[in-house]
Order: sequence, then C-alpha cells, then structure tokens
Amino acid sequence: MAIKDLLANGPIVVNIGIEQFYHDLKKQDAKVVHVDWRPSALKSDLLSKLRKLREGGAN
Amino acid sequence: MQRVEVVRGVYYDSVSLMRVAQELTKIDGVIDATLNMATEANIKIMSAAGFDLSGLDLRPSDLVIAVKANEEIIDGIIAKAKEYLSNPPWKTTEISQQYFPKSLNGALSMLPEANLALISIAGQYAGDEAMECLNKGLHVMLYSDNVSLEKEIELKKIAKERGLLVMGPDCGTAVVKGIGLGFANACPLGPVGMVAAAGTGLQEVHVQLAHRGIGVLHAIGTGGRDVKEAVGGITSLMGIEALLENDDVKVIVMVGKPPAPEVEKKIFQRLVSGNKPAVLGYIGGELEGDRPPIYFCKELEETAAVTAAVVNGTDPDLARKDLNLKYEHLKELASHFGKRKGYLRGLYSGGTLCYEAQLVASKLLGPIYSNAPLDERYKLPDSLKSIGNCMVDYGEDEFTQGRLHPMMDSSFRAKRMIEEAKENEVGVILFDCVLGYGCHESPAEQLASAISQVKREVGDRIIFVGYVCGVEADPQIASSQRKILEDVGVVLADSNAQAARLACLLLQ
Repeated sequence: MAIKDLLANGPIVVNIGIEQFYHDLKKQDAKVVHVDWRPSALKSDLLSKLRKLREGGAN
Repeated sequence: MQRVEVVRGVYYDSVSLMRVAQELTKIDGVIDATLNMATEANIKIMSAAGFDLSGLDLRPSDLVIAVKANEEIIDGIIAKAKEYLSNPPWKTTEISQQYFPKSLNGALSMLPEANLALISIAGQYAGDEAMECLNKGLHVMLYSDNVSLEKEIELKKIAKERGLLVMGPDCGTAVVKGIGLGFANACPLGPVGMVAAAGTGLQEVHVQLAHRGIGVLHAIGTGGRDVKEAVGGITSLMGIEALLENDDVKVIVMVGKPPAPEVEKKIFQRLVSGNKPAVLGYIGGELEGDRPPIYFCKELEETAAVTAAVVNGTDPDLARKDLNLKYEHLKELASHFGKRKGYLRGLYSGGTLCYEAQLVASKLLGPIYSNAPLDERYKLPDSLKSIGNCMVDYGEDEFTQGRLHPMMDSSFRAKRMIEEAKENEVGVILFDCVLGYGCHESPAEQLASAISQVKREVGDRIIFVGYVCGVEADPQIASSQRKILEDVGVVLADSNAQAARLACLLLQ
C-alpha cells in the first residue's frame, strides 16, 4: 500500500512486541492484531552458535 | 540469600518480564528480583546487578529468574514469579483469555487489510522481522533500538523501492490519521503534518500545538539516525513528500536535532519546491532568518508557537515575542518562590527534552554535565553520579537495558531524586513527566512519593521544578497528574523550555 493510502485510510496494525501498544491502539478504536511473538528455537540456536564462533569459543 | 532458576526453551518479552520483577520487588522480604532471557547482554546486566550466574550453561532461549530475598520466603518468590508469568496480575481475565496469533502470517490471516507493523521486540531480532513485514507489503514502525546502522540502511532502501515507510529504528512515537502509535498523546486532529527525528520532541510539539488549539493529522517518526549522513534522510524525505501531496495537511513541521548538512539541504530544497508552509524545528540549530513560507526555530515550544501562528495566519514573529515575554515573566516567578543555593540537577525520561533543557541551561548557567551532553567534554564518567550542574537522560541505553523505559516506569528516576537531595550542594531538581499512550498509568504518583520523602528530609532547601508533557484527553489526564505534583510542592511550568529556564533562574 502506498504511503498516501496509509495516511488516507489510517493505520491497520500488526503489533509485534510490547503488548501495551496493542491495548493502547484498541483504546483508540484502531484495527489491530497482536502477535504473541517468540524467536524460533532455530534462530536462537543459530545466533548462539554464531556468537560462539565469533568469540572463538566452542562450536 | 540468592536463588536462580532457569526455565529452558521459552520466550517472554522484556516488558512482561520487567513487570513481573517489579511485582516481586513489592513483596516484603524481597531485596531484588530480575527476570531475563539469557542473552549475552542480559547475562552481563544481571551479573553487574550482583546476581551470580557463574557455572550455568545458559542459552538465549532460556529464561533466568533470579531473586535475592529472605531465606524463608525465597522458594515462594520463585513460585510467585512463575505464577505471575502464566497469569499476570495486571491483566484482566478478559485480556488474559484473548487469542493472539504466534506469527506474522497468523496475524495477517486475521487482519488481511493490515497496512503497518509496529515492531518492539529485542533489537537482535527486530531487523529481520521488519524485513519480513516489508516483504508482506507492510509499512513498518520500528520502536526497537539496537538495530545496526547497516540494517537500517538496508531496510530503508528496500522500503523506498517499494514505496513503503520505515519509521525507526528507535522510533518511539508516531501518529497516523490521528491514531497514536507507541508513546503518543491524545491530541486533536488538525491541519498540521509532522516529520520527527526525535520522539519526545514530537510529543512536546504535538502537546504544545494542542495547548494552542491546533491539531495534528499525521506525525511520521523517523528514528534519530535517519537525518545522519549515512542514512541520508530517506524516511524524512519520504515523509515530507507524503505530507506535501496530502491536501489535508496545510503546514508541515519538521522536528529533531539539526540534520547532517547534506540532508538538511535536501529537506530544505524539497520544501522550497513544494511551496507549502513549513516550520523547521531544529533543536539547537544554527539557521537564522525565516524564508516564508519556511520558518526556522531552535526550541520545541517556539516551533509550536510559530506553527500555530502560520496555521492561524498571524505573525510568527509576534508569536516569538509573546513567548519571550513569557520567559521574561519567569524571572518574577523565580523571585516569588525564592532563590536557592547550589547546583541544578535535571532528571529526564525524554531524550529530546533533556537535550533542549541542556541547551537552555547552558546559556544561563554555563556547561552542563550529562550522560548525553551537548559537548563531550562534559560527559559524566559515571551516569549515576552527578557533577556540578547536571542533567541525566534516563532514556539512554545504559538505563533501559534490563529495565523498563523511564516513560513506562519512573521508579528508578524517583530513587535518584532521593539520592540527589542528600547532596547539600543541590538547590534545584528539574524533571519531566511525560504522559500519553504507552506511558506509565500515573508517573506523577511515582515521582511525588519520592519528592514527599525529600521534603520530609530536607524541607525547602531543594525546590522541584517539573513539566507535565500531556493533555487532558491522555489516559493519565494531565490536570490530575499536575495536581499530584503540585500537592507535594512541585513548581510546574507550561513547557519544557520554560521549566528549564525557571529552574536556572531559581538558582542564585
């Protein structure tokens, strides 16, 4: 959606993170859905391995 | 004694974890409590806070619950932490029972017409998530900080190619068609469109415009780095373009620290060719002399006053003169309250408010020490120990890692007020109290409790000067918050710039 359409229609929001922001958008009658977001185990493990490699530690 | 418990393979967002920790520390017998995902940064923070995590095999997908408490209750506190995690006491049953999808795809199947993602997860994940949102055709507001400059540039370049906005990273505030995102005040709608590279700068101008009866339709946040040379003002320029095209926006306001020269030039040139009235509020900037329909301002209240004049078709210079008269009147007000001996100490939750206060105070008092100083020569070696006239920005990373943002929780700042007051050389304590969506439900109460304690201990030796950045329609109700502070003897000013001036004038 073009920026002009975002400004014309108003925000319709996917909230990823702080749940308070979802409730505050609800209070303003905005259309919003909250994502109960968690990093995938795969991502976490990969990050952990990359960090260890960077630090020259165990692989 | 200390007890540490590790829960493997779970994830909770930092705000939920900090709220649980906050609840636990209210329990009698609890000395300290912290809950964190076991990222490298969090492990360091917990260790620095005195928790011994040595010998534990921790991974980022582990939750660490660490408690210091009396031996007889410590097991119960760990159990309480787990109970609060599964049934947060601050949530109503109705909220707890709501279903939330676990993924972006799940969210989009529930709300296929979504056009914007508000992302506030840990910085290490936020960039990739933002990219996924752009790939789904969503505009992005990236509240998260700790996203690399390279990632920011990559995201913004891709977004630009697709005609999408990336507000942020580190973008705390935005308003789209009157709807506040993140930290935002419930101000009226009106003919002003803003682009802001400064979160509380945006809030202050928004609020000051509301006080002058002027509304804002859109306020596009950019994140502070957007106007640096490396990013080149990508979001700022896209925002200005959109506001120039929008017929409902009659006046454009840009707020932030002065952009890099090349970016400043591009913004100015586009506004000149756009031929729509514009007010450039570059805080502490050096540009002088208006070039109607473009006006230059150096402070936040001035930006709002000049914008209001432009909207109303009155003389912006007259608006500036009126403001200067108000500032002159503060001298009488200072005499009325009686001058104090000693140093000024400013304790801020808003970064731009702290920056502006330093600009004002440095002209009246000379150099100001800070953890985010105007001049690096006056950087505090230890942000927890003030030197001379000093202002501390509690929104800086060093204070927000492992803690709620000070606009969500003022308790750490309130404790600092008590510490500052113990120093005999302190005469004035200056602070902000920022309201709006996203902020604490009653920051004034948190601060007033500390101020009462100081008053009991040192009487009137110290005078407190505050500014409540908010409006009546905010969830906290500005007049109620003001009353709470006035009832404990705080002298309140009508703007951040006035509060800083008054605080300086109160010193002998």
